[in-house]
Amino acid sequence: MSSTGEKTEIGRRDFLGVSAIVAGAIAMLSVVAGALRLTKSNVYYEQSQKFKIGRPENFPAGTKVKLDEKKVFIFSENSGLYAISSICTHLGCIVSQTDSGFLCPCHGSRYDGIGNVVGGPAPRALPWLEISLHEDGNLVVDASKEVKSGTMFLI
Amino acid sequence: MSESLKSGIEQFKDNIFGLKDSLTKSYLRAGKPTSDMSRAALMVNNFFLHIQGAKTHINTLRPAYTLGMGLIAFYLFIITCVSGALVMIFYNPSIEHAYSTVKDINYVVFAGRLMRNVHKWSGEGMIVFVLLHMARVLYTNSYKRGREFNWLIGIVLLVLTFVLNLTGYMLPWDQLSYWALVIVSNIIQSPKELTDILGLTKFVDIGGIQKEFFLAGTVPGAATLNRVYFLHIMLLPIIITTFIGVHFWRIRKDGGLTVPDNFNSSCNVDCGNLVVLPKKTGGIFTTNKTYGLMTMSKGVTPAVDRDVENTVLSWPNLAIAEAAVFVLCLAAVIVYSIFVDAPLKEAANALIPENPAKAPWYFLGLQEMVSYSAFMGSIVIPMLSVLGLALIPYLDRDQSDVGIWFSGSAGKKVAIKTLIVGSVCLIGMLAFVVNFGWFRNWWPSIAQIWIILINPANLWLLFVCAWSIWIIKSTGSTRMGAIALFTMFLVSYLILTYVGTELRGPNWEFFWSKAQWPIH
Amino acid sequence: MQSRFYASLLLISALILLAFVSYAGLRELNPEWKTYQKEYKRLFFNNAVTPDMKKKAAEYTVGIRQIYIKDLNRVDRCDNCHVGVENPLMAKEKVPYRQHSGTYLKDHPVTKFGCTICHLGQGNATNKKEAHAEGHDTYWDYPILPLKHIQSSCTQCHNMDFLSKHGADVIIEGEKLFNEKGCKGCHKLSGNGGVLGKALDGVGSQPIHYFPMRYVEGERTQPSWLKQHFEDPRKVVPESVMKVKLTPEEADKLTTYILSIRTYDPPKIYRRINEEPIVAKDGHALYNMYCVACHEDGKLSAFDENLKGTIPAIENPAFLMNADDRFIEMVVKEGRKGTPMTSWQLSSAGLTDEEIKKIVSYVALQRGHESSKPVSVNLKTGDKDAGKEIFNVRCALCHGEKGQGGLGLNLANQIIKKADDQYLFKTIRDGRATTPMPPFGSTGLGLTDQQIVNVISYIKAF
Repeated sequence: MSSTGEKTEIGRRDFLGVSAIVAGAIAMLSVVAGALRLTKSNVYYEQSQKFKIGRPENFPAGTKVKLDEKKVFIFSENSGLYAISSICTHLGCIVSQTDSGFLCPCHGSRYDGIGNVVGGPAPRALPWLEISLHEDGNLVVDASKEVKSGTMFLI
Repeated sequence: MSESLKSGIEQFKDNIFGLKDSLTKSYLRAGKPTSDMSRAALMVNNFFLHIQGAKTHINTLRPAYTLGMGLIAFYLFIITCVSGALVMIFYNPSIEHAYSTVKDINYVVFAGRLMRNVHKWSGEGMIVFVLLHMARVLYTNSYKRGREFNWLIGIVLLVLTFVLNLTGYMLPWDQLSYWALVIVSNIIQSPKELTDILGLTKFVDIGGIQKEFFLAGTVPGAATLNRVYFLHIMLLPIIITTFIGVHFWRIRKDGGLTVPDNFNSSCNVDCGNLVVLPKKTGGIFTTNKTYGLMTMSKGVTPAVDRDVENTVLSWPNLAIAEAAVFVLCLAAVIVYSIFVDAPLKEAANALIPENPAKAPWYFLGLQEMVSYSAFMGSIVIPMLSVLGLALIPYLDRDQSDVGIWFSGSAGKKVAIKTLIVGSVCLIGMLAFVVNFGWFRNWWPSIAQIWIILINPANLWLLFVCAWSIWIIKSTGSTRMGAIALFTMFLVSYLILTYVGTELRGPNWEFFWSKAQWPIH
Repeated sequence: MQSRFYASLLLISALILLAFVSYAGLRELNPEWKTYQKEYKRLFFNNAVTPDMKKKAAEYTVGIRQIYIKDLNRVDRCDNCHVGVENPLMAKEKVPYRQHSGTYLKDHPVTKFGCTICHLGQGNATNKKEAHAEGHDTYWDYPILPLKHIQSSCTQCHNMDFLSKHGADVIIEGEKLFNEKGCKGCHKLSGNGGVLGKALDGVGSQPIHYFPMRYVEGERTQPSWLKQHFEDPRKVVPESVMKVKLTPEEADKLTTYILSIRTYDPPKIYRRINEEPIVAKDGHALYNMYCVACHEDGKLSAFDENLKGTIPAIENPAFLMNADDRFIEMVVKEGRKGTPMTSWQLSSAGLTDEEIKKIVSYVALQRGHESSKPVSVNLKTGDKDAGKEIFNVRCALCHGEKGQGGLGLNLANQIIKKADDQYLFKTIRDGRATTPMPPFGSTGLGLTDQQIVNVISYIKAF
């Protein structure tokens, strides 16, 4: 066997080997990617983040409601409706309402009446949540959607 | 000397830029596998590879010899473990949630149904391939010359594979799980059949104690599920992993896979595609050695143009073969799982038994025998069968013809003869029992002891033993007896499993196909 | 530097693996519900009129969702396909995009009730076949409830009084049928009722396999079984002794009612059941509820093929003339052993003494004004052996040699032993008009009074 013949033989084998290994690696990566995607939960066993709170006429100006289960305060003023989350922005405890605003029992964060931080370790204001009108006429609060502080929902 | 002139910061900079090299070096201590030396070192230095030799015999790499059965069984185990861990993320082992979490895996987990199928089918595939591997080892006469003990380990692995599959079957807590648990717990209880007859039950109820220990109660319930879960995901995997480790380690200790005594270089031609033969120049294991005459001795000398004892380097020869088989295995399991769904029936209902309440398919051969006597069919005969299989290497101590399929043409003839005789006799016996029934149908008031002692399963076991001994007598070789015995085992397992799976319907009556089952 | 065989094997396997993993991945990314959601989005956008609504439609995101209701321990994923159930803009679209009919969702918000609490089916499932669970191969115990029976779900939280005021006519009529066809004469429910048939507690939530489906035509589901069973009991269960046969319309209504008898109670916060004012039922209603299935109007004594016995005509004036209230009450209370007549007292079939009295006085309404003249019977003068001879010749043909009954009634039981001698005497002497029992007295078939006494003493000794 001539030396050139041997070289091409090995060259061909190398090409086959390299492509086999690359193909194997890509295939295995795709399996791993699928397996990793599998570990992410598609559905959560939680109450819906989006919930109906009733019809607008149930919230005349001056209403202040705390929805314990939904962790949200609903305020109604002449200028409109707004919802403030009751989850402290520091480490997630539930704030309680005081005369001057909100107070978190865990690490002493204090907020004023519209949720701005006035003391304690909280890094930012209590989020205002989106209120919208559902097709069926009910008000809907979406706890996963934050709106700018001061955004009123006009009835 | 210039090194010492560099400042500390410069050295640190070099170290950072040199990270890639130094990491590679610390991982591949002998450098990249570019030379025979470094290839051998790669095998020896790597924890996962070192259980295999630096060099592999060409015979080991011949697909027609090993058929890759043991390796496939092992890979299926790996796939089962990984897919099992993935479905475990979503599974909840409580009787309130087990069923609905399995449903969730099917319905809302990304590729969850596929992963559950992969887990199920690779697990059941293990049974098939462990049995096939066992058959390969037996028919190539590979349980000898120090490998006797490893055969025993293999038997343990076979049993563990069955139990792992069975415990997994019970976890979804559907009708299949629940009624399999009921059946299995009553099989565990079946020594009661014997103690009842002997009048010992009121003193020591072995069966009852065993059953209640297994179920943690008298009927399957929350505590049972906990136990089965513990067995399935913790105890049994630890045990089987340990035994697999021992099994592999013994292969090395026993000198690798068997090789025929007269293995010669004629393989070179048909092995050309399988392995890369060593270059004839350079390297440490080549034949390009100088020989000095040290001493005169009798014996066969290695062929001068061949590598030591027909071996090639494991890296890359063995490594690529193993990688190829793994990917093939994974591909096959995934393709099967895409098209065939693992069964999941109605939620467990203690008041409405499945009819027929069938065990998983791999135990239906047993269930066919259980239909005569639970104690004999599910305890005594399986135990005797396992014992018989385990003793094969110790009863057949003929050390010749190792590593040859069927030990030559004589063995092939015995195997075929046994296959035919076994199939005909077993089918004949089953046909007789299906048509004419057994003692209880003829004499309804007959005492249970007679059925325990004389039933088709026992008679069949006796026939198998008698046949094997007759083969030993007529051929004058214990090796032929081993082939006959094992072939009979395979034939019985296959035929009984087929009958139990396909031909038995509601009330364990005989049907030619599932389409004939009455609606109930 | 690898072997050609294994390198090729690796390459081919890797390509197969890659191809099928990609196929599986694509399949996972495009499930059945996604097409419905995309189509919904399009319809929503088209139907939206105001810019606000258009914006909402455009913002609608396609993705899997579920309604998790912790209090009901349920997870419903129906709205992945039935996307528009809460959207009035979808009122005119086709199912599954259509808005839910009626105003039910106003009072039963989806987020609080989900779907399967009323409609059944498999809430977990995310494809049509398995969610509707129609067909045995879906392996789910509760297939989706046909809409004609949907009212059976209302009783979980509402009582009949409420339902009758809110137009749930099917189940109201179903209950009426249940009460008037004498179902409880054979079936126990909530502690009272006969024992000839299976108890009905929780029958509406029994899984499919509880019902033998062998002879059911069409869909093999619980409602079909019940309906066909009411139309012709022995077609579905050949060994059934059930007497009732209903028209298809009646069967549908009764099926709805029976399906409402479930074991599962929703938590208290869901239930709107105020303690139902227990309206004491009068004798007629009680008779309809418990007696009518076998005795019908009580006028006719007829041999029943299925029960293999004669059902006595309890409204027969000839019977009532001789039997006093005390005796009838005893029979109702203790039943007749050896016959399908069960004991109805509180400890057995669960009727209170008061209810039994009401039934008895209802039955006694048919009694004529003239009562028979008392006769003096002295059993001590009875000759059992002589009585036996007469019995074997005259009575055994109908009543059986051991009094076990046949065309005639069963005489070998406690009630006959306890029965008033005068009653037995008059019955034998005067017979039962309109039944096969002839008068045996001197004016009839010619037994002397003494012979009758002999027969009585023999009967009492069974």
